[in-house]
Amino acid sequence: MTENLKKLCGLCGISGREQTVADEIERQISPYCSCRRDNLGNLIAQKQGKKRAGHTLMISAHIDEVGMIVTDITSDGMLRFAPVGGIDSRVIIGRSVLVGDGISGVIGTKAMHMQTAEERGTAVKSDQLFIDIGAKDREDAQRFVSRGESVCFDSDFLEFGNGFLKGKAIDDRFGCALLIELIRSELEYDTTFVFSTQEEIGLRGAKAAAYSVNPDFAIVCEATTAADISGVDGEKQVCALGKGAVVGFMDHRTMYDRELYRLAFQTAEECGIPCQTKTMVAGGNDAGVIHTSRGGVRTIAVSIPCRYLHSPSCVIQKEDMNSCLELVRALIPRIQTL
Amino acid sequence: MNFDVKETLKRLCLCCGVSGSEDEACTAAAELLKRYSNDILLDDYGCVSAVIKKPAPGQPLVLLEAHIDEIGMIVTHIEENGFLKVANCGGIDRRLLLAQQVTVHGKEQLKGVISAMPPHLESDEERKKTPEIEKIAVDIGMNKESAQRLIAPGDKITFDTAFRELKNDRVSVKAIDDRGGVTAVLYALEMLKEQEYPCGLSVLFSSQEELGERGAAIGGFRIQPDISLSVDVSFGYTSDAVEYKCGKMGQGAMIGIAPSLNQEIADRLIAVAKEADIPYQLEIMEGETSTDADTIGVTGAGVKTGLVSIPIRYMHTPVETVAIGDIEAVGRLLAEYVLRFEPISERNQKL
Repeated sequence: MTENLKKLCGLCGISGREQTVADEIERQISPYCSCRRDNLGNLIAQKQGKKRAGHTLMISAHIDEVGMIVTDITSDGMLRFAPVGGIDSRVIIGRSVLVGDGISGVIGTKAMHMQTAEERGTAVKSDQLFIDIGAKDREDAQRFVSRGESVCFDSDFLEFGNGFLKGKAIDDRFGCALLIELIRSELEYDTTFVFSTQEEIGLRGAKAAAYSVNPDFAIVCEATTAADISGVDGEKQVCALGKGAVVGFMDHRTMYDRELYRLAFQTAEECGIPCQTKTMVAGGNDAGVIHTSRGGVRTIAVSIPCRYLHSPSCVIQKEDMNSCLELVRALIPRIQTL
Repeated sequence: MNFDVKETLKRLCLCCGVSGSEDEACTAAAELLKRYSNDILLDDYGCVSAVIKKPAPGQPLVLLEAHIDEIGMIVTHIEENGFLKVANCGGIDRRLLLAQQVTVHGKEQLKGVISAMPPHLESDEERKKTPEIEKIAVDIGMNKESAQRLIAPGDKITFDTAFRELKNDRVSVKAIDDRGGVTAVLYALEMLKEQEYPCGLSVLFSSQEELGERGAAIGGFRIQPDISLSVDVSFGYTSDAVEYKCGKMGQGAMIGIAPSLNQEIADRLIAVAKEADIPYQLEIMEGETSTDADTIGVTGAGVKTGLVSIPIRYMHTPVETVAIGDIEAVGRLLAEYVLRFEPISERNQKL
């Protein structure tokens, strides 16, 4: 799964521009299921299991990533941009990016030597930053880039420390990689998989997909914020790397189904899968629009704990990937027998 | 000419050479110097120097000089959770540290990420600020025991950035400050190879410039040049900066004019640039220059100094950006200055 995650994270697909990622995923899964795309670009896959399912179960992950969009080109050839999705402007400054079809650019400001003490201590807002692709002036830049072009972080995927992985877009290419693993394997029951679009700009793809799939149950596979870092103690850590799949009871968008929440922990215990909950109410994901779809969908989210989410350097631990995969796999037959 | 400026720059910039730990960069530079000198010294203080041509009797000794160190960080403490506390080596723009990828140079090279507080733990006010260096920590994906086996306080940390090519032969990587200067000096040596010129020539790649031009003081004293030309980087204009304080990217060598620099040398550099048709621009400074030239100028009984700078953008960041043509212009200017060398006036008269 690590190799495939590396491949998926290497693709660029900001919200609304997910086609490259969807194409790659479809290429990988089409021998194992039937695929279709809907009007919002969602990739919906119907996988046949050994048995027909009593309940329609939808397992989803979003394919888009946070990034930027070019809003203007200045007279001196610099690109103005706006963030797509929630990005802390402090992780945009001083980075390399890829504009459109692989044009390298960098983001910086005047040198620190020319900053006042106040400027040095103040975060630079993204509307004060520019992407420099090396263009001499506006006309030169326009030969390579047009307004509306998408921008991704240019950040390599690497393994470091004791079994840790670092890369951009792990939120939520990890979920995508997990779904692909499931689709490629033999499943007990028929299951619908959704690779949803536009999560980062308001859970938009999943809303349409949940309507058309019309599931009884849903599992959202995600990456969630872990704050098990220096200077943060106790419940403020929310969850921790290496402690397994994260199953929350509530976040800013969803009050998760109580029975499914209990089932997840019971399943994890029975199967010996490391599993933890979130110790703060924080974040939100596609579950927010799935559980309120039509007449309501019983929903749970299984997430990988991830440090520095929405930055070019998302960090996860390898063992947690397996915990998430095994927990979702074990939940499928249990949900069908509810 | 058998010299690839871009490849040389890439090779040098990807080396580690945080102030005080310049070994890797020095070794690479010394290797490149072998084509031009059989008298190379790697000194105890992290400087590389080389004699290119001994001055004939009566000839002055000219020194071409650039600093080899780069800004970075130093490990100060390993925390209970295995994260590393750090201090800066040289001026670090702390506004861009969060979630930045780094290399820790311990017993092995280890990758890490500078940890960032997630949004739920920061107030809106806190998010508007940039953390002090004491507040940050480096996540190396290890517990304390593993970290202690491989890392000790005092180990250095560099930004981990790839070498990236932009449009118009501009490139971006860490440490162009001042491996760009080192590259320009090497390029000049390539042009001077097998050429005749009426002066002696030595080279110094100095250590610890970013901590206060310390290597230049030691190297400059040992070499005792008559004339020293320092090569450093300076500010390439971006629209958020004061225009007259910056050079323009792609418009050639920045010739320094300052009270602390020798004006005859500056005038000569301008004349040579005109004669040899080398693109140049002027950089006017009001006192010292914040480069090795300040220190070399006052080594021993004093040295006549000139300063030529390469305009770069985003100085002291992992994405420093330079136009290859500007490095070439600086290298050519140095070479032509030496080839067309004219002694400058001597004011040491005994009355």
